[in-house]
Amino acid sequence: MTNHWIDFKNSDVILIMGANPAENHPVSFRWIMKAKDAGAKVICVDPRFTRSAAKSNLYAPLRSGTDIAFLGGLINYILQNKLYFEQYVRDYTNSAYLVSGDFKLPGELAGLFSGYDPKKRSYDTKSWSFQKNADESIKKDPTMQDPNCVFQLLKKHYGRYTPELVSKTTGTPKEKLLEVYKLYASTGKPDKAGTSLYAMGWTQHTVGTQNIRAMSIIQLLLGNMGVAGGGINALRGESNVQGSTDHGLLFHILPGYMPVPLADLKDTAAYIEKHTPKSKDPQSANWWGNRNKYLVSYMKAIYGAKATKENDFGYAWLPKLDPGMNASWLMIFDNMIKGKFKGFFAWGQNPACSGSNSTKVRNALTKLDWMVTTNLFDNETASFWKGPGMDPASVKTEVFFLPAAASFEKEGSISNSGRWAQWRTAAVKPLGQSKPDAEIIHELFQKLKALYAKEGGALPEQLTNLTWNYGFKRADGTIKSIDIHAVAKEINGYFLEDVEDRPKPLKPGEKAPPPPPPGTPKKMLGKKGELVGGFAQLQADGSTSCGSWIYCQSYNEKGNMMARRGKKDPTGLGMFPEWAWCWPVNRRIIYNRASCDPAGKPYNLKKSVVYWNPAAVQPTGALGAWVGDVPDGPWPPMADEKEGKKPFIMRADGVAAIFGPGLKDGPFPEHYEPVECPVPENFFSKQMSNPASKIFKDANIKEDVLSTCDVRFPLVATTYRVTEHWQTGVMTRNTPWLLELQPRQFCEISVELAKEKNIGNGDLVEVSSARGKIEAVAMVTPRMKPFKIGDMTVHEVGLPWCFGWHTPGVGDAANLLTPTAGDANTMIPETKAFMVGIARKG
Amino acid sequence: MADTINQTTRKGFLVDTSRCIGCRSCQVACKQWNKLDADKTANKGTFENPRDLTPALYNRIRFIEKETSGEMTWQFFNERCMHCGDAGCMKVCPSPGALYRTKDGIVAFNKDKCISCKYCVSACPFNIPRYGTDDKVSKCHLCTDRISGGMTPACAKACPTETLKYGKRSDLIAKATAAKKTLYGVDDLLGLGVVYALEGPPEQYGLPAKPGIPMSIFLWKDVIKPLGILGFWGSIGAMLLHYVTIGPKKVDDDLNVKEDGHE
Amino acid sequence: MSNYIERFSTSERVLHWIVTASFFTLLLTGLGLYSTLFNGYFSLFGGGRNAILIHKISGVLFFLSSLYMFFNHQKDVTGFDQDDKKWVTERGGYLSRNASHFNIGKYNPGQKLFAIFIAAATLVLGVTGLFIWAPTMFPRWIVQLSLMAHGLMFVCSIMFVVVHVYLATIGNPGTIEAMLYGNVRSLWARKHHPKWYREVTGEKP
Repeated sequence: MTNHWIDFKNSDVILIMGANPAENHPVSFRWIMKAKDAGAKVICVDPRFTRSAAKSNLYAPLRSGTDIAFLGGLINYILQNKLYFEQYVRDYTNSAYLVSGDFKLPGELAGLFSGYDPKKRSYDTKSWSFQKNADESIKKDPTMQDPNCVFQLLKKHYGRYTPELVSKTTGTPKEKLLEVYKLYASTGKPDKAGTSLYAMGWTQHTVGTQNIRAMSIIQLLLGNMGVAGGGINALRGESNVQGSTDHGLLFHILPGYMPVPLADLKDTAAYIEKHTPKSKDPQSANWWGNRNKYLVSYMKAIYGAKATKENDFGYAWLPKLDPGMNASWLMIFDNMIKGKFKGFFAWGQNPACSGSNSTKVRNALTKLDWMVTTNLFDNETASFWKGPGMDPASVKTEVFFLPAAASFEKEGSISNSGRWAQWRTAAVKPLGQSKPDAEIIHELFQKLKALYAKEGGALPEQLTNLTWNYGFKRADGTIKSIDIHAVAKEINGYFLEDVEDRPKPLKPGEKAPPPPPPGTPKKMLGKKGELVGGFAQLQADGSTSCGSWIYCQSYNEKGNMMARRGKKDPTGLGMFPEWAWCWPVNRRIIYNRASCDPAGKPYNLKKSVVYWNPAAVQPTGALGAWVGDVPDGPWPPMADEKEGKKPFIMRADGVAAIFGPGLKDGPFPEHYEPVECPVPENFFSKQMSNPASKIFKDANIKEDVLSTCDVRFPLVATTYRVTEHWQTGVMTRNTPWLLELQPRQFCEISVELAKEKNIGNGDLVEVSSARGKIEAVAMVTPRMKPFKIGDMTVHEVGLPWCFGWHTPGVGDAANLLTPTAGDANTMIPETKAFMVGIARKG
Repeated sequence: MADTINQTTRKGFLVDTSRCIGCRSCQVACKQWNKLDADKTANKGTFENPRDLTPALYNRIRFIEKETSGEMTWQFFNERCMHCGDAGCMKVCPSPGALYRTKDGIVAFNKDKCISCKYCVSACPFNIPRYGTDDKVSKCHLCTDRISGGMTPACAKACPTETLKYGKRSDLIAKATAAKKTLYGVDDLLGLGVVYALEGPPEQYGLPAKPGIPMSIFLWKDVIKPLGILGFWGSIGAMLLHYVTIGPKKVDDDLNVKEDGHE
Repeated sequence: MSNYIERFSTSERVLHWIVTASFFTLLLTGLGLYSTLFNGYFSLFGGGRNAILIHKISGVLFFLSSLYMFFNHQKDVTGFDQDDKKWVTERGGYLSRNASHFNIGKYNPGQKLFAIFIAAATLVLGVTGLFIWAPTMFPRWIVQLSLMAHGLMFVCSIMFVVVHVYLATIGNPGTIEAMLYGNVRSLWARKHHPKWYREVTGEKP
C-alpha cells in the first residue's frame, strides 16, 4: 500500500475493485465505515454481488478478466471530460515527456505495441523510450500538445475505450459504467481524494500487473497519489505477506526490493552499474542511486567479517539467476513435474490446494525423492500421496512433517499491508513438539553446517559463511536458540566501524566551508557496534551492515521501534506515528510530497499529510522544513529551483510514470482476454490474450490444457476467499467454529443459469474444467447475474478455494480447475478468470 | 408485573444493521468466550449457518437477500436475546434466579437454578431461549461475566465495524437518534436492551412490527394466575360460608324413619 | 333389608383414590410451576426438576386413571332426566336450609356435571400437558395456548374439587363413607338418591 488501513477513513470515494474487503479484510471495513460516516461514497465493482457490494453506495458488475477495459474506459472518461487534475499531471507525472517517434500503439498494430517478437513472445522495448536532448535529458512539451507526448498518446490509446465498447466487453450496463466513472472522476478536484482497494482480483490474471498500472494512471490523472485518503492500496491476503516480500521471499528480489543478481553480472560493480538508475535532472532525488550502499550493507549483514572489500563483499556467494531464467511459483512445479527437483520444502504452504492446476502440482510432488512440510496441521500437500487418485504404494516421495508454532506462539514482527511492522510477543508456548519457524530453520542450518564440515560438498561458502549471530554462542560456536531480537537488529543493521559524518560532496561552483579549527572532535554518524539510525546512514564501503535497507531504523539505538504503542495522532488523519513503525523511515503515506503544490502548500488544507514551513528552523540551522508525516526526503519542494526535489523520489526522473516502459507487456495497459475466455474475439483488437504472458504448452505435460470457447466449458469462473476461511483453509478447516460457519465447497450461480441447467438451490453439482472436476453445493442466488457480452449471454460462476479433500466432507480444491498461465511480469497464475462447465449430480 | 429495571443506568446494545458486513466475528467470539461447542452444519445453498440459534449459538447473523426492481440488497441482521425491559421469559420462569436481571438491566441465566420447564421458550416474544442436551436454558447473556469485569461483551469487542455497540442504553439511543437512525425497540416491552437501527421495516428482518409478550402468555400469567388464586380461596371461602350459613345436609335432619337396632 | 347399600366396588374405590392421589400430587408439584409464590412446594420433592418429573409421571397416571374412571361411570353420569332438571332448577336444594326432595338416581346432576367436567379437564390438561412437556417439538402458538389452557383448566379443576370435597365430606355427612368403605347407609341413600335406592333395593315408592 502507498497509504495504510486507517487512512481509508480520509477518502471521499473508495473504489473496491479486484478485492472484497468486507469478506477478506473485515477489519478494514471499520475505516471504510468511518469514511462513509463522513460522507464518502463507496463503489464496488465485482462479478459477484459480495458482502462488500452490499455495503457500497454503487455496485457495478463486470465479467472477470475485463478490468483493463473497465479502467481504460474510466481513463477515457476523465480525459474526454477534462476531469483530471491538470497541475498535478503536468508537474508530477511524465505526461509531458516525448516518446520515440517509432512507438506504435495497439490501436495501430492490431493489438500489439511496437517491437513485438511473436517467436519469443516478448517485446523489444527500444521504441518505448523517451526522446532525448543532446545533454541526455528527456525532451518535454510542457503544453502537453505534442502528438508524441505521453499525454496525447494516452488520449489516443484510451480514445478507443468508449463506454459502448467497454460495456460490450465487460458486460457492465453502460449507465452503471458511467455512474461509476462520474463518481470516481469527481476525486480529480484538488481537495478530493479517491482510493483504490485491490487484491488478488486484480493480480491473478495474465494481465495482473497491467490492471494495477491502469489504476495507477487513473490515480495520477486525478492527483490521488501521496494524499490522505488516496493511493493504490493492495489489500494483502496474509497478515505478514508484506513482511515476507519486504524481506526477499520472492525469487527475483533480495530483501528491500533489490533485484536478485543475474549470473552475467560478475561483480558488485557490474550489478550496481546495471541496477542503479541515473538522472541528469538536478531536481530528481533518484533514491535508487543509493543502491550500492544497500547491496554492500546487505552482504555485510549476512556474511559479516567474511565479506571484505577484497572478495567483493562475498558477491560471488549470492545466489544468481541465469539471464532469462524464471523461478516463479508456476515454474517450480513445471520443473518439478519434469523431474528437475529432488527435494522440496513446503514451508507454511499447501500447494496441493493453493497451486493453480492443483492436479499438476500434486502429480509434480510424486516426482520428488523427498519433501519436507512445515505446517500447523496435516494437509493436502503433506498427505498428497494418499489423496484422491493417488496410489500410495507407487509414490516414492519420502515425506517429513515438521510441526510449526502458530503466530501466537512466537515473538517477532508482522508487517501489515500498510507497511507497519508491529512487534508481537508470544501469547502462549508452542504446543507439543511444534517450534517457531526460526528455530526450525536454525536447527536445519546447524545440521547442514555440520554436514558440510564433515562431508564437504559443492558450494559450501554460501552457507558456511553466514554470520548467523542470532543469539548467545557457546564455546563450539553453536547457538542454543534463536534470539529473535538479534535477527531484528541484524535487519536494521549495525555500524561495523566508527563512521564519520562527512559533509556532502560539493556541487559545481559551490564554495567549500571553512575547515573546522584543529582539535575539533570529528562529527560521527555512529560508533562501531551501534545500531544504524536509518538508511541514510548506510555506507557502500562495508562499514555498515543492514539486512533489509527499508527496515533500517526499525530497531535502532532508540530501541525496538516496532514495539512502540504510542497513541498520539497529531494530524488527526490516523497516522499514529508512534504506534509501531512503518517503512520507509516511519513514512505513513509514501509520495506524500505530491499532496502539496510545488511550493509545498497542501492541495487539501483540511487533510494535510505534510506541508512545507519555510520559517521552520532545522537542527542544522537551515531554514524551512516539512511538517506532518515523515516526508519523502528533507529537501524543499520543487518550486525551490536550487535545492528543491520532485516528489516521486524512487523514480529516476522524480515524477510518476503515466507512460511506463518498464513492464514486459506494454507501457500502457491494453485489454486482452484471459487465456481462457468465453468470447471468440477480443472486441478491442485482433490480439486475443496478453501476447507476452507465459503459456505452458509442453506436449508431455498432459495436465496443462486450455479450453477457450469450448462448448463443454461455457461458463466464466472465478475463485475467491470467504470471511470464514483463510487461504486453503488448513488453519480454519481445523477450527470447528469456523467450519460451522462455512462447512463445504459451494458454487455460486445465477438464478438464470440454475434454471437453464435445472439446478436447485442446495443441489450437489459437478463443476469441471479442461483440467479437472470438483463437487460443490449450488448456491443459486440473484447476487450472480448473467452478462451480456456482445450478442452473447455469458454466465459466470464463483468458487471459494478454501477447501480440500483432507477435511472429510468439505469437497476438494477449486484450484483443480484453474489453469497454469502466468502474468507477463510477475508470473502470478490466472485463477480469477477461467472456463468451466456445470451439471447437477444425481 | 415486570421485574424492576432502572432505565437510567440500564446498559444495552445498539445494533446498527447498516454497518454490519456479515463477517460473523460476533458468532465466533461468542463461542470462544462462552466456551461453546461447534454446531454441525451443512451448506444448503446459503452463507447463513447455522440456520437457527442453538444451545451453543447465542447470536448469529441472518443473511437477507432481496432483489427489488433490479436492485440487489443483502442485509445482515444480528439475532440474539433482546434483554426486554418486560421480559416474557422472566415473567413465566417458575424458578427464582434461573433467569434474572443484573444490575445493568441484562437478562442473565443461571443453569444451576434452571428446572428445565422450558416455559421461557414459549414466552419469549422473539423465540430466543434454547435448551441443549443438559436440558437447561441457554441464550445470550451479554457476557455478564465480562461486563462485571469491566470488559465489553465478546461479540461487540470482536465486531470490526462497530455494528454492535455496547454501553449505557440511554446514551446509545440518544446518539443514534441524533444520527437520525430508525430505531427498533426503544419503548416496546419497557424498552429492549438490544435496540436496532434498521434500514427497512422490521418485518424485513423477521422481527415483529410490534413486539409483545404473546397474548396467551399474558392471559396466563397476568389474568388467570391472580384470578386463579382468588378463585381457589374464593371457593374455599364459599364452602365455609355455606357450611356456617346454610349448613350441611345431614341425613337425620328430615328422615324420621326409625331404623334402630343396627349400629 | 340391610342397613347398608353397596355404592362403590373395591376396584372403583381404588381407582378413585388413585385419581385423587395423582390429582393432589399434581397439585402439589404443580403449585411451584403455577407461581413463584408457591416455590416452597418444590422442596417437598427435592427441587423443581424433580417436581416436574413427578408432575409428568402423576400426570400420566391421572390422565389414564381419570379417563378410565369416567368411562367406567359413563353410563351413569351422562344421562339427564326430568328429575335431574328439577334438581338443577332448584340448585339441589343447597341454597336453602329447608329440606328438599328430589327423585335422584345414583348420581345427582351436580355429580354428573362434575364427572363430565373432570373428564373434559383431564383431556385438556393431558393434551396441553403433552405440548408443555416438549415445547420445542410443537409450534410455539400451540404451546403458548396450552400453557394458558393448562393454567385455566387447573384453576377450574381445583375450584370444582374444593366443592367436591366439601360436599363429599362435611357438606353431606355420610357421603365419604361410600368411597371409604364402599357402603352407604340406607338412610343416606334414600335421602340423596331415592331413585337409585329403589333400583337397588327394589322398593316401591
